[in-house]
Amino acid sequence: MSDNEQIRFDAVVVGAGMAGSAAAIVLGKAGLNVALIERGQKAGSKNYFGGALYTHALKEVLPDFMDRKPPFERPVTEAGFWFLSRDGGLMKATIEGGKLAETELPDAYITMRAAFDAWWAKQAQEAGAFLIPKTTVVDFIRDEQGQVIGVQTDRPQGDIYAPVVIICEGVNNLLTQKLGLARRDVEPAHAALAFKQVISLPMETINARFGLPDDAHGLAVSVLGDVSLGLPGMGFVYTNKKSISVGLGVMLDTLAEYRLRPYDVLQRYLQHPAIAPLVEGGQLLEYGAHLIPEGGWRDMPQLYAGGVMVAGDAAAMVNALHWEGTNMAMIAGKLAAETAIEAHKRGDFSAASLARYRDKLQDRFILQDLKQYRNFARFLETHPQFMDVYPNFLNSALADFFSAYGKPKKVLFREIFGELTHRRPLLKAVGDMISMGKAVMGW
Amino acid sequence: MVMKTGDGFQAKELPQDLKATLPQVYVDDMLVTLKYFIDEEKSHLWIKDHDVCARCQHKPCLYFCPVGVYTLGQDGKIQVAYQSCVECGSCRVACPYHNIGWILPRGGFGVAYKFG
Repeated sequence: MSDNEQIRFDAVVVGAGMAGSAAAIVLGKAGLNVALIERGQKAGSKNYFGGALYTHALKEVLPDFMDRKPPFERPVTEAGFWFLSRDGGLMKATIEGGKLAETELPDAYITMRAAFDAWWAKQAQEAGAFLIPKTTVVDFIRDEQGQVIGVQTDRPQGDIYAPVVIICEGVNNLLTQKLGLARRDVEPAHAALAFKQVISLPMETINARFGLPDDAHGLAVSVLGDVSLGLPGMGFVYTNKKSISVGLGVMLDTLAEYRLRPYDVLQRYLQHPAIAPLVEGGQLLEYGAHLIPEGGWRDMPQLYAGGVMVAGDAAAMVNALHWEGTNMAMIAGKLAAETAIEAHKRGDFSAASLARYRDKLQDRFILQDLKQYRNFARFLETHPQFMDVYPNFLNSALADFFSAYGKPKKVLFREIFGELTHRRPLLKAVGDMISMGKAVMGW
Repeated sequence: MVMKTGDGFQAKELPQDLKATLPQVYVDDMLVTLKYFIDEEKSHLWIKDHDVCARCQHKPCLYFCPVGVYTLGQDGKIQVAYQSCVECGSCRVACPYHNIGWILPRGGFGVAYKFG
């Protein structure tokens, strides 16, 4: 193919997910010619999460996003933790009202990715991006110096040239590995396999079962304890408009070593005496699974090289404890796009020029939080009692506290205290709390 | 920490009473809810070397794959039902011998989540 027949864009974005479409929106609005390449039948076909999206990130990328009618399910008006005990108990630690009662722009919306990502990519198209679906990027085109100058796709004559490529390929970051930016593949001990059922129920049934006044109210909870058989993992429940999403993530090395079938573990969770009445009579709409890269800071690839930047799950931008990832992806996509726009102004796409991308991430919560939480992934590996002993203790302690046994409270409190020290020696429990503080605060 | 690989892979057991609380789900009941565009010409998953699987004592892929792609055939060989794959990547990274070939399906093929 001669030079003037080459397909050329000002920028190529690989993957129309949270990060990719955000990047394409910003690039398109700046008047750059951008190709947004998506391997699915449409944007969203391959994308998966719990889940809820944070509005701060959407607003930062697309300030008028609410006027564009995003396909949200419900705002999150109640959030928190549920603790399941092995004997069938459920302790709820959730918050409603306060900040979560904000009606002008709620903090987060429960969302389903197939619909949302299609809409998100459409916003990129409306900003001027050229969406190329059903196309898998298989490799890069590089110049003699090794600088990326385009991508090879699996279409006939599918080479696409651009001076800057933003990789938003997701957790299976094989392209990032191909460039040597990620030195290793995903480590099973640092990845959670999340799996979920979307279960159809009438809206009124959902509202009644979850104590929600109407479909302008929604619940998002993390579920601890018996949900993952006491192994490192965490469950979740989200109320959609006419369905609920129930699932859990378990560390992949744990699933492999214990040889657990994810769908068995999920079914056990759904059969828990506190969960079963919530899903009773529902119809399974869709089952699915996705890996979450939870290695964070320590597993983060190099974020840029000549002609290329990496954003989102491909760059391990996940804060597992706070269920953050999509917001980091969107903002990283935007920052990569801004870096590409500046590089165009300078006419310089070298690694030195694109290094500004990392500076921008460092100025924001993204790299700051990931660095602070750099030890947290390992903390849960080495402190499995947070998945088992403590949730069970909290449940039985609370049940004791509110039960009238006809005995002096002094005796009861001694028993509750004894219950804890029986499950976990006191000094160890104190040590656990200190360790958790360190893992969260990044000391 | 990293997962021990190769012959060093360590299988663990749940306490018997806890294990007994696990139901046994028929994976096809999950699969019928999924929509796929199946590439009839090319599998995007493959076993690199069946001799390695023969040596693999615990064969965790038979369990942890969330859609049961891997089964043991009557000939004792691992069979790969790539048509059911949801492209999560677990098998590629958690096979103790890294013996599973894994690429993305061709553009447009593979799982297509309706809800996600």
